[in-house]
Amino acid sequence: MDFPHLVPTNPSESTDDTVMMRVATWTPEQQIARMLVLCEAQMESALSESDVAVEALIKSFAGLIEAGQALGSFSDKTPPGADPSTADLARQLDALRKQTAAAVVAFQFYDKLTQRLGHVRYSLSALAMFVCDRAKSGEREQWQRLFTTLRRLYRTEEERELFKLMVDGATAEQAREHIQQSTLTLRAAPTGEIEIF
Amino acid sequence: MSGPSQNSRVILAVDDSASMRQMVRFTLESAGYRVVQAVDGIEALDFAKNSAVDLVLTDVNMPRMDGITLVRELRGLNAYKFTPMLVLTTESGQDTKQRGKQAGATGWIVKPFSPEQLLSTIARVL
Repeated sequence: MDFPHLVPTNPSESTDDTVMMRVATWTPEQQIARMLVLCEAQMESALSESDVAVEALIKSFAGLIEAGQALGSFSDKTPPGADPSTADLARQLDALRKQTAAAVVAFQFYDKLTQRLGHVRYSLSALAMFVCDRAKSGEREQWQRLFTTLRRLYRTEEERELFKLMVDGATAEQAREHIQQSTLTLRAAPTGEIEIF
Repeated sequence: MSGPSQNSRVILAVDDSASMRQMVRFTLESAGYRVVQAVDGIEALDFAKNSAVDLVLTDVNMPRMDGITLVRELRGLNAYKFTPMLVLTTESGQDTKQRGKQAGATGWIVKPFSPEQLLSTIARVL
């Protein structure tokens, strides 16, 4: 999203005209928009950094899986009882398989995080534009439209529940309690539902 | 962790997220499936039209062509009338699920998936 009117000018390059123009166009709404755009940019920056790190992590993980598979093939070829260490190796491989499965589930939360933050970023950008439009931001009906638009972005149950809670007027404290409860539920059952039609 | 058993079944995994495609690939290859990947519905459809696929596992929200449209398009092809097609998505809303069912999806798996459950579901529908 481009907000040329929000880009600060270099004070050393300011002329009387540019200073006058900035004073003339200064509005509280523009300052809110500037902050919202900043938040959105910070998120984008953090996500880009994380993408690089997660990519490296996945490559390492792939290497560990391949090493595990190679050990598994070796273990499978060894006749049972031929070597006392074979049983121990089989136990270790079983533990590795369980850890790998847990890591596969955990990795998917990064994808979910990226998706959810994408929705937050879009919401911040949309809000930044909206608050600068005085004709729209002064009308209750337009706010409802904005809420409806943002609501459509959400894909997960967690996003929808939190959105409803906040739009219905929950306080930050109530939202925090809700999130804590959701996290407990998630810890108990981290994977999603399966339905065969 | 034992090596992949020989399994000639080909699974087409469709997701615009590289990390999700990797997680799906690790899981399916560990069970011996052959995995081909596509980044969106268009790429998946192109591949499926030119090669045989035993099962399709697709995300919903993707650029260019979403997973529900992909399922509908594939069901319209004679070669894929009876091919199992599972949707793997963060979408848990009933409306979207219903749209997937109407398009011809075989089942719906909400992310994150557990490798064990994904494999047992695939074994069940194949």
